[in-house]
Formats: sequence, C-alpha cells, structure tokens
Amino acid sequence: MCLAVPAKLVELRADAAVADLHGNRVEVNTMLTPEVKVGDWVLIHAGFAIQQLDCRTVEDTFAVLEDLRQRTEGGGHDPAKR
Amino acid sequence: MTRRSVEVREFLMRLEWAAAKLERDVAFMEVCGTHTVNAFRCGLHSLMPPNVTLLSGPGCPVCVTAQGDVDQMIHLAGRPGVTLCTYGDMLRVTGSHSSLELERTRGADIRVIYSAMDAVKLAADEPRREVVLAAVGFETTAPATAIAVLEAHRRGLKNFSALVTHKLVLPAMRALLDGVPVKLDGFLCPGHVSVIIGAEVYRPIVEKYGKPCVIVGFEDLQLAAGLCRLVELALDGTPRLENLYPQAVSPRGNARALEVLERVFEPVEARWRGLAAIPASGLGLRAKWSQYDAARKFGLEAVDAPEPPGCRCGEVITGQCTPHDCTLFGTACTPVRPIGPCMVSSEGTCQAWFKYKRARTAKHEYVKT
Repeated sequence: MCLAVPAKLVELRADAAVADLHGNRVEVNTMLTPEVKVGDWVLIHAGFAIQQLDCRTVEDTFAVLEDLRQRTEGGGHDPAKR
Repeated sequence: MTRRSVEVREFLMRLEWAAAKLERDVAFMEVCGTHTVNAFRCGLHSLMPPNVTLLSGPGCPVCVTAQGDVDQMIHLAGRPGVTLCTYGDMLRVTGSHSSLELERTRGADIRVIYSAMDAVKLAADEPRREVVLAAVGFETTAPATAIAVLEAHRRGLKNFSALVTHKLVLPAMRALLDGVPVKLDGFLCPGHVSVIIGAEVYRPIVEKYGKPCVIVGFEDLQLAAGLCRLVELALDGTPRLENLYPQAVSPRGNARALEVLERVFEPVEARWRGLAAIPASGLGLRAKWSQYDAARKFGLEAVDAPEPPGCRCGEVITGQCTPHDCTLFGTACTPVRPIGPCMVSSEGTCQAWFKYKRARTAKHEYVKT
C-alpha cells in the first residue's frame, strides 16, 4: 500500500501539478513537496508527491525497467539471455 | 549479465561469506508489504544461506487492521445515505459477517479511490451524501488524509468525514521486540514510510534494543544490499542504523508532511491484528477536527471482534508462524476466496507465499526462541 512511483512534473499550478508517468499524464497534489518545479522528478504515492528525487537515481531505475522490457519482448524466458 | 545483476551477485556473495562466518542462525524482519512481495518476486528468499531467514512483519496496512475496525467500515458502508471511499486494498477484506465488496453487491455505495482528495471532491459534488474516507495506512498514507481533512475544512464541507485507522510503524517494531516471542537480529526498514518519518527515528531501536536497522528501497539491488549489511552487522556485533535509500529518505523525513500530521492528528491507542492494542501506535484526529471524525459523527463504538475461525494472520504478520502452519492456507483460504487479510492483499504475506512459495520446503520454518 505504501507503493510509490517516480514521475516527472510537466505542469505546475497552485498546489496541483501534472506529472508524466511513463507516458501517462496524471494529476498530482504537491502540498507535501511545496518546493518542486517543472522538470523535477518526484515520488508519487496515492496522488501525492511525497518526495523530490535525485534525477540520476530515477534514470537508473528506468534503465533497469527498459532493460527488463527489452529482454521480455526479445527473448521470453530464454535463460541464455538473462 | 547486466552491471546491476553483477552488483546484486556481489552483495549476495558478501552476504554468504558473512553468514558462513557467523556460525549461528539469524533472522531479520521487514515491516513493509512492498518489501514482502518484492523479496519473493526477485527470489531473495531462495538465495539466502541456510542460517539466514527474512521474516515478514506487520507492514501491510490491510493486514494489520483489526477485525473490529474492518467491521466498523463495513457497518458504516451499509448505512443509508453514506458513500464510503476506500483504497482498493480494503475492498475484499472479510469482516466478521461481510466484506465491502459483498456490501457493494447488496447496494451499498462504496467507491474505490486513488487519492484521499477524490473523497473530498466527491463530498463537494454530492452534498446530499455523507462521504466517509476509510483512512487506512501507515505514515506514507496518513499525510494525504490530513490534507483531505484540511481541504474539506477550507471548503466548508459538512458532509465529509474520515474513519481513521492509521498506524505508526515504530510502536509496532517496539511491541514486537518487547512482547512477541520471536528472535530478531535486525530490521529491514520500510522505504516509503521512512521518506515521511526520516531515518533517525529508528535510532532508539538500534541503541536501546541493540538491533541493527537498515533502510532500503524496493528493487532487487536495494533488498540484497540491505540484507547483506544486516548479516555483516550481525557478524561485527555492532548494531548500526544505515540508510541505503538516501535518494528518497533524509535523516529527518519530509518536514512538511510531519507538520501536517502533527497539525491534524495526535497519537492514540490503536488495535492491531496480531499485536492487540498498543498505546500511541495509531493516529486519531485532534479535538479541533473532531467534526470530521466519522466514528464520532456516526456514534461508532470501538469493538473487539475475533479473527475468522482458524485464521492465523495475526501470528503470520508477527513472524510467529509461516502461512504453511495455517491449516486454511492454500486450501480453504486462497487469493480467489480469501479468509484472512494476508491472503486478500497483494502485499499480504499469505498471498506472497501462495504465489511464490506454495510448496513446502525444508526451509519454511521460522527461527523461534
């Protein structure tokens, strides 16, 4: 339940924002992270940005996810490709 | 092999080396539902040396919610004029006589929400309905409830209230160490709860109880690194607090979230499945906000209700037994027809075992004192 996902802020209004979540646009409440700016990466939990993230960390995470995706699409369960 | 898998392997090799040097059994506990599931998903349990066990603690909010509190939610949802807003996790949890899902099929107005603010918007849109937010969850989720209450107040909404059963992680960890007959050698501390409360709050667990605490995120690398450090700290015999998730967790947490929590809530005694009532282990609305307290508004009394007959969820989430020790596990109780909350929730220990460790193996017994 404490699941949170990283997303990039693309639009900022008073106490509300729009974040790009891997291609999806989601509305995010930024009252818990009042200092964020457009372009920042945040951790989203239940519609709230709960923390600003270091962008290098996020890029690392997405690199792993992309790697997994390519392996799944390209090789299925071939152990040689793991 | 990717750079990352090499790193994971390096941590596991270090862990194995330290475990071999230890020459005794050690057991560590995670207190986060997402850790429970991800540790299984990435196969960590099967990679542990024979003398290292990772236990699942009371970290899934749905699972720790006492049966009496589940009954209250279900009762309230059945009241005429009430719209109950809940996070999806609670929908299928069975109370003493029903579940929210069952009540919905009987006509109760139950909405699954993504954010607590959805409940506030609903209250504004439907002024004739009494909109109640089923406020379940740990410190990660509680600030959203606090902001929802403040927002309802700002908008002057009289038809919004929250049935608050928020829980605090630290009192549960202390209760485990004080009163549960399970041998623990350290904690893998929850990543996102720690984003809010900060790393330093675990220091008393390290200093008073002498148990190492390592804060980690949710990926294989983080989990492997965390377990590796716990085994190494056990070998060194020097309990320490280590934060391996500093990109998200700061020493003092999210100041704004803590300020909002302090403003709206106060610590109250809370009932936990498996741990009974623990003083100051939950959050209740301060007197100033009591008009938004659904329990008060609807005159709900706190009741203790027994767990479903035969269900051992309470012992499972305190590390006292494994799902395999429960006779209902995988027979009468399955993810399709769950009896206990640990089988309902996708982060529940029983559901994780059902998915990843259904077969009994030699190493399914937990270490007991």
